[in-house]
This record gives sequence, structure tokens and C-alpha cells, in this order.
Amino acid sequence: MSADLNFARLRSAGAASLRTRAGVPPTVLVSFLVVLVVVLWSLFPSLFTGYSPVNGDTGSKLDAPSLQHWFGTDYLGRDQYARVVYGTASSVTSALVAVAIGLLVGSAIGLASGFRGGWLDSTLGRLVDMLLAIPGFLLAVVIVSSLGFQTINAAIATGVSAVAVFARLMRAEVIRVRRSAFVEASYLEGGNRLQALLTHVLPNAYRSVLVLAVLQFGTSILVIASLAFLGYGDPPPSSDWGLLVASGKTYVTAPWLVYAPALVIVATVLSINRISRWLRNSK
Amino acid sequence: MTPIEFRRRVFLAGITAITGSAVLTACGGPAATSSADAGTPVDGGNITFLIQGYDTGWVSSKTSISSYEGNLWGQITDKLVYVDDKGQLSPWVAESWEELNGAKDFVLHLKDGVTFSDGTPLDAAAVVANLNAWAKGAPDRGVSKVGLFPSSNFVSAEAADAKTVKVSFSSPALGFIATLAYHGCILLSPKTLALPVDAQADLAQEIGSGPFVLKSWKQGDSYVLEKRKDYNWGPAALGHTGPARLDTITYKVIKDTSVRTSTVASGQAEVAFNVEPQEIDTLKAQGFTVGTPKYLGFVDGFQVNTQAFPTNDPSVRQAIQHGIDREEIRSTVYTEDWDAATTFIQGNVPEAGDYSSAFAFDADKAKKLLDDAGWKPGPDGFRVKDGKVLEFPLTPNPYVPSTKAEDELIAQQLERIGIKVNLKVVDVAGYAAIQASRPPLFQTSRSFVDVGTVAGVLTSQNNGENWFNLGTSDQKLNDLSTAIASASDRESRKKVAGDLQQYVLEQGYFIPLNQLVQRLYLISPSVKGVQYNGLAYANFYTAWVAK
Amino acid sequence: MTSGYGRFALARAGQAAVVVLLAYVLTFLVISVLPGDAITNSLRDPQSGLSEADIQRIVQYYGLDQPVLVQLALSLGRFLTGELGFSLQSNLPVAQIVGDALPSTLTLASTALAIAVVFAIGIAYGAHYAPPRWAGVLRSIPSFFLSVPNFVIGLVLIELFAFRLHAFTTTDPNSATATLFAAVTLAIPVSAPLAEVLIASLDHESRQEYALVARSRGLAETQLFARHLVKPSALPSVAMVALIMGELLGGSVITETIFGRDGIGTVVQKAVTGEDQPVLQAVVSLSAVVFVAVNLAADLLTPLLDPRVNVREEANA
Repeated sequence: MSADLNFARLRSAGAASLRTRAGVPPTVLVSFLVVLVVVLWSLFPSLFTGYSPVNGDTGSKLDAPSLQHWFGTDYLGRDQYARVVYGTASSVTSALVAVAIGLLVGSAIGLASGFRGGWLDSTLGRLVDMLLAIPGFLLAVVIVSSLGFQTINAAIATGVSAVAVFARLMRAEVIRVRRSAFVEASYLEGGNRLQALLTHVLPNAYRSVLVLAVLQFGTSILVIASLAFLGYGDPPPSSDWGLLVASGKTYVTAPWLVYAPALVIVATVLSINRISRWLRNSK
Repeated sequence: MTPIEFRRRVFLAGITAITGSAVLTACGGPAATSSADAGTPVDGGNITFLIQGYDTGWVSSKTSISSYEGNLWGQITDKLVYVDDKGQLSPWVAESWEELNGAKDFVLHLKDGVTFSDGTPLDAAAVVANLNAWAKGAPDRGVSKVGLFPSSNFVSAEAADAKTVKVSFSSPALGFIATLAYHGCILLSPKTLALPVDAQADLAQEIGSGPFVLKSWKQGDSYVLEKRKDYNWGPAALGHTGPARLDTITYKVIKDTSVRTSTVASGQAEVAFNVEPQEIDTLKAQGFTVGTPKYLGFVDGFQVNTQAFPTNDPSVRQAIQHGIDREEIRSTVYTEDWDAATTFIQGNVPEAGDYSSAFAFDADKAKKLLDDAGWKPGPDGFRVKDGKVLEFPLTPNPYVPSTKAEDELIAQQLERIGIKVNLKVVDVAGYAAIQASRPPLFQTSRSFVDVGTVAGVLTSQNNGENWFNLGTSDQKLNDLSTAIASASDRESRKKVAGDLQQYVLEQGYFIPLNQLVQRLYLISPSVKGVQYNGLAYANFYTAWVAK
Repeated sequence: MTSGYGRFALARAGQAAVVVLLAYVLTFLVISVLPGDAITNSLRDPQSGLSEADIQRIVQYYGLDQPVLVQLALSLGRFLTGELGFSLQSNLPVAQIVGDALPSTLTLASTALAIAVVFAIGIAYGAHYAPPRWAGVLRSIPSFFLSVPNFVIGLVLIELFAFRLHAFTTTDPNSATATLFAAVTLAIPVSAPLAEVLIASLDHESRQEYALVARSRGLAETQLFARHLVKPSALPSVAMVALIMGELLGGSVITETIFGRDGIGTVVQKAVTGEDQPVLQAVVSLSAVVFVAVNLAADLLTPLLDPRVNVREEANA
């Protein structure tokens, strides 16, 4: 939720290159591994568990974690691990949708206002200020309540509330690059503005935008989980991570129903943040 | 027992799936199951009662009173008649009564010396004012009548003298006396009844005669009741005279079920309303009392909208009847304290019969019904007819939190016969809008005291609630509900009630699940002597706290 | 300088006003996408206790039978004169609902802010002066704080401190200790970016010349930290505190729900489930007002605190 606050530091990331050093830190390797697992969960859930996420064995409800049921079973005897694995697709995909919306719309606004400048810049600038003025989570709540309680709507809402961050970053990048000597040189050589934009600004800006996108990905997972926790996502029997925590907490005697999905959320977001930090710092 | 110990035990009990009784009973003592708690009652003590919410306001006269407000009303008001959990009626503010002229006229003899908390007498005039309010409401002031009161044939109520009230009906009203024990029929001072509806919503203006009075409150958050020292007119059936034993009861809103449970379990409060049924066994093993009283009324189940897709198709309704495995629901979501339904009214209603064959679980039969009606399995397993998928939305009843898990299981079960159920979860505030939108199935929880009053919900006759959206189009149902409302003797009425149950179930107008325990009370081991009436409300008049 | 600053201040204030208006319009349009019959449904709910006359009055008041743009004009006009309308759920004035909920949220948010600042300073100080091993750990804490959902923090704190250790009771969520733990829940994600920025600026500032000079004069590190570094390097954080205001308000929805507090967050939740448009509109636009005002104050103060900041450039940022 706080990605926008790292703006000052992200700017410095623009200069960073993706060239990796000989050694990637072990924590980063672990993080990539976690993200890989999560991606595989969302693409091929059935490879990771033989249990159904919807139909359970009601005879073994609320069983504690065991070798058969790694995360225990829930109130209808469903394997909680299977619920988490199958819930990954919507939890993670929706975060990707959110980032895509923020990235595309935000970058477009940032590019336009940074490149054209003038009245367009100040108009778009006020629009971005307006989006920033409404607390991001509150904006997401209002949008999702208006569109209807569904995970895809939560994703759209989260995406809209991320537009401003991307717009500001992209604008700053464009202005920075535009001022730099080689763009001016390309003007002098008679290149047109659009060409300059495509050949110089985008390649130079994409690294810092990528860092922000990765960071925003983690943030979006959190926001969407929070919305699902409040019941603003898909209804049961879907198993979004936030919803799993919310419905699990009802069962005081089965704490694993809360802690297992909570740990998965934390591990995923932590890994993504670690990767984002590594991308930013590796020069 | 210290809370840390408790939590560890809960955890252990869960983790190792050991019953844990050896560890658990070290302190806290055995679970008390009856109201006849050991020990001598003591005066004094305070309890905190945790409840979901007070969002729907304090207008006392509504078509139906929410379970949450009902809990508090029961402590600050009295009724004319008391009903126990077997449906047995006994005197309360009405010391005795007479049924005359084929149940068309009644005489109520009131107890002497009963006063409202503002000092005004609860006399015949006050009772007449209440009867008129229940029967008619005050439409000009926006006050509605009491939904289950036999108002269609109500003629008049008048005070013969200060202690005697005469009530007359145009046709037999066998349910009248029983309805006086209903939690909608609470006695309020005439001054309160004369207020406009928005003033009635102010709890401070609601003057009752109950064993407790409102001391302080913060709307929607907490309500402190203190005992009335001069109270001396409780129902004899409770076996206690004089004022209540407790000094105060604090009703405190805690929305979250797990927080309510854990708060009582960790000793920070004494009573929690509506805990998760699946936790009951573990909590009982800790020494806590869990009250699971069953009210007189309808079972847990669905009113069917016969005009909406897809329940306008009788075979779909019957397929749903037979497609639900109620035994699996009972063993998964509930405990042994829940009973199977045999009809759509609760087993403790004297007129309840056994019509379970009309809705017995039989997946093959359900599939055949759908096949024969032309619902063919589509590519994804869900049935299709005329290009329309056999699906409908379903909203769990927020007044009964366990219905969330229940409906999720029902969705699985109906999926097995090819019906797609889309769950939609709302809170109490949103549920009224769901009801207004008339979904195909609406999950209901409604109590009543007398079977005659069900006539008020079946059709739209006499401003009925029209549960099945039939209006007056089903002549047989019209006749049956008229017959049950106006029967003149209990024997013939019982027969009508039987016919009615059979007809409603065969037509698939109501889909029963299991007998309902709407009001669950998790009670700390130190609180003794809680009693439950026939509407499953806990009565704290007799309760006390062991030192 | 003075006239330059005056012009700068005026321009910023103008921008702020425009932003508030835009935010109001945006919120209105988003909320008005809500299906129309939902409003009447919630109005006509028999439990609401509203009479037909009441309903007519509300429909008239909001122009619910007129086009959206007319409704917007009505609503915006009232907002500008400080009138927030009436709740569709309870028929109470929105100003009263918000006013009743505000103190609780303000207490929570300000406590959380204080805790977040303390956490951030602690982490930043540690990251700079602790032995390298520990400094590394401390530097990764903000990232960890940013990875834990608010609701998980809240659930764990309640479980641990209320139910196991009895540090506070859930039946009294407004007590000092309960407020403290709720504030910690809210403060943890807020402290992370604060700490990150503090660490970054400390890194930057400590390389500056005057720090070297001071160090060569033999000042103790702690004194140096306090005397020289905190003031200038706290500057980027002043603008940040403004941004954090929004964060605190948004996070309060979850935190208040979990801790059972009655505040703005609870009001928002009830308004969302009850489709209570006027309440949502008021809360969202008021929080935009607060956000913009704090931001404006921060922007106006920054050049006064640090002469190095160029007023002109700031005005165009």
C-alpha cells in the first residue's frame, strides 16, 4: 500500500542497470524460488495437490496439519493446502491485472504529461493529484463497492488506485531523460518528438518502472487480500488468500486455518519486495 | 483457570485431536447442562453479554423483532403470558385467563401491583393500549403491527376494571393466548406507545416493566442494564420471586464471532451470543456451558419464490428437496444438539408431524426429477434447459452465522445433481435488501408460539407475508391457511395443520434443512441459573454468578 | 524571497482547491455507478423505520429522480457550503455520523503516527550505528513490515496480547492499552517507508561535508545524529508524513474492524455494505480535504525550514 512513498528512491533506480553481479545473494535466490512456486501454483494447481479445493471429506473436518493435510482441513473437511494452492491463481492474477492497469494507464499519463508539458502537463498533473488525494485503500473500497464484490473488481479498483504512482514516476523519468544531452542531440539531428520518445525515453525509463511494477505487484497482493478479507472479493467457495484468513479466523480451535494462508501471503510479498530491492540496488 | 492455560489447551486439543478431557477438566468443573445448577444462588454480580450488533434500531413494534434486540427486550420488559421450551403456557402479568364463546372472546385477569419503571401502573388500560398496538400498529405514525398477532379477526380490547381486560375476535382465535408469550408482544408503557416512530427508536424512551432497567447506553455499542429493586412479578414457572439476582448486565457489541468466543473463553466476558457450532464440543470440554435452546417456530430452511427462475419449476423445487443431504450438514456443520427436521416447523411445536419422506435425501431421485423435466447435463456438468443454465443465487442467513458453512455445503451437494448455486454473503443490513429482492430461495429463521399464526405468512391474504410469492393464486393453500387461522378447536386444527404441512412440502414451497438453533449462548462456568423460554431467549432474571 | 514565496503559496493553495473539487467529482461519479434501485431498496427496507414521507423527502433532497449531473450539482453545491446531507441508512445527518466517529479515529491515527515515527527513527538509528551484522538486519525490517498484511498483524496482536497475556480486553476497545495495540497494527506498515526514507537520507547526509567537519571536531556520534542530522534529513519526511496521512486513514478500515473500534473505518464499512452513498461520499471527500490540507501545509513549510529548497522548482513539481 505504500509503494508510492518510495518514489524518491525509485528515481535513483533509473540509472541502475539489470546487469547482475557474479553472485546473486542467497536471499534473492530464495525469493525467486518462492515466486516461482507461487507462479506454478497459479498456473498448474493440480500438479501440486490431489485434493479438490471445493469438495472435501466432511468426515475429517477441522483436522490439524499432518502429512496428509499439510495445512490441516477446514470446516467442511477440505484440504487447506489445496484451498491455498487453488486460491493462488485469483489472488496473484488479480494483482497482475492491478499492476497492468496501473502501469499502462499511469505510464500513458506520465509519458503524455512529461513529453508534451504545458497545459496537458498541468491538467494531467491535477488529475494525478486528485487520485493521490484519496487514500488508496479508501478509493479501492469505494470503487469495488460500486462495481460489485468480485475479485476482478477488486483488482480493477487496486489498479486504479495505483495509476497515480506510475504516472508520477513516468513523468519524472521522461523529464529527466528529455533534459539529458543525447535527447537534445537527437533533436538537433532532426529527429521528431515521437521518435525521440520511443528511442530514448522508454528504454531509459523502463528499469525504474520495472522496479516500481514489481514493488507494486507485492503491494497489490496485499490490497486485494485486504479487500477479500473484508468480504469484497469473490464469495465462497472461491479461496482467495484474504478470504481464507477471514473465514478461518471464525474457528478459534483451528488456528492453522489462519496462519497457513497468512504465512503464504507474507512469504510471497516478502519475496517480491526482496526482488524489487535487489533490482533497484544492483548496478 | 488462567486464560493462557485455556488457549494452550484449545490449541493442543485441536492439534493432537485428543479429546483433551484429562487436561481440560483440571479446573473449571464439569459442564452444566441443565438450569438446575448445583450450589446456592447468591445475590449480586455483574455479567457482560457479547452480541453481534444492534443495527436495526429499537422500534419495538415491527413485523418481526431481530434476535439481537430480542435478547435485550426480554430483560427490560414483561409479557402477559410465559411460554417454556415445551410450548407450555403459564401466567405472568396475566394471573389467569378465560377462553369463552368458542375462542372468540377472552378475559385476562392481571396481577396486582405491577408498575412500569417510571412508576406508572401496568393496569388494564395499559394492557388495552398494548393489545391495540400489536393488533393494529399506528400506520399514521409509521408504527407497524406485530406480524404474528391474530389481527385479521381482532375486534376490540377493553378494560372491564383496573385488573380485567376483555378481548374479542370476530372468529375463533385459538392462538391468541399463546401469542401473548411471543417476544413481539412485550408490554410497554402507554406513554411509549403513543410516541412517533423515530422517538420509539430511542431506547431511553422505551419504558417497560421488566426485572432490569436501562442504566446507560451508547447506541450500537454497549448497553448497561441494572436490576429493578422493586421487581416482584416474574413468571412463577421460573421458580424465583423478588428482584433479579444480578446487579447489572452489560450488552456489548462485538461483531466478530471468533472474538466473541475467545473473549468469553479467555475470561474477559461471561456470555457470548451465537458462537460457531463446530466449536461447541471443545468449549464444553473446557467447562463452559453452551445453551442450544430450540425455539417454537419454523425450522432452518428456505422459503421458495415460486415465481422466480428456476424455482418456478416444481420439479426443480422437488429436486432441491431431495438433493440436500441433511445428515451430512448435521454431522459437519452442527453437533448432536441439532435435530433432523421432520417437517417445516420445529419438533417442539405440538402440531409438528413427520413428513420427512417428502424431502428425504435421494440424489438419484433428484436427478431423475430433473431429467424428466428436461434439464439435461451441460458441458460443465450443470444442467441446461432451453439454453438456460440451472443456477440461482443463495445468501446465507446472517442471523444464523453457521448457515455460511451450511450453504457452502449445500452448494456442493446440489452441484452433484447438476444445480449451480452462487453464494452471496451479506451482513444483517444487507439481508433485508436480499429479502426485498425476492430471490428463488430465501433462508428464514422465524419463531412463533402458536401454529395458527403461520397463516399470516403463507399467502397474501389479510396482508400476509406471502412467503412463496403465490399471492392468492393457490386456492388449496388459501383454504388451508384460512382454516388454520380460524379453527375453533385444537383437535380439528391439528388435522388442518397436518394437511397444510404435507401440502407445502409436497409442492416444494418450503425446503426444510434441520431443526434450528438460532440462539446459541456460550456461558462462563461461573454463571449459573440461566433459563430459556419457548422462544429460545436466555432469561437472566434467575441467573447468578458463583463467587 | 518574500514575494516569490507569496506567489508560490498562492499557486499551491489554488492547486489544492482544484484537487479537492476534482476528488469530490470523481468520488461522486464512481459512487453513482451504483444501481439506482439499491438506494430505494435500502430506503424501503421496513426495518429502517422510514415512512413514505421520509423516503419522498430523501428522494427530493438528493434529486434521486433526476439525472446524475443534476444530482452532482446539488450535492457539490451543498458540500461547498459545508452541508454533508443525510445517511440513507439511519436518516441521521452525515456530519453527525462522521463527527461521532472522528475522535476515535483521530486518537488511533495520531497514536499510530507517533509510534510509526518512533519505530522509524529507531530503525534508522540502528541501521546507521549498530554493528554491521545488526545494521543489515535492521535495514531489511522495513521491507518485512511492508510484506505483512494489516489484518494479520491485528489478528496476531489480539491473539497474543488480549487473549493470552491479558494486556487489554476486547470488550473495551477504546481503553488506552487496546488503542495502543490497534495503533501498533496501523503503525507497522506506515513506519516502513518512513524508515526507508530516513535511512536513505541519513546515508546521504552523513557523507556531506558538514558532517565530516563535525566528526573531525570530535563530536560523539549520538550527538551528531541528534544535532546535525535529524533536522535536515527529516525534511523529505515532512512531505512524506502528509502522504502517510492517507495511509493511516485507509488502514483504519481494517484496523478498526479487527479491533472492534467505532471510527471512520467502521463508518465506511457500514456505508459500503448498506450502500449508503452520502456517507461514503462525505468520508472520501473529507479525507481528500485533510490530505490536501496537510500536503499543502507541508509544501508551504518546507522552503521555510530548509533554504536550500528552491521555491520555484517546488512550485512546478
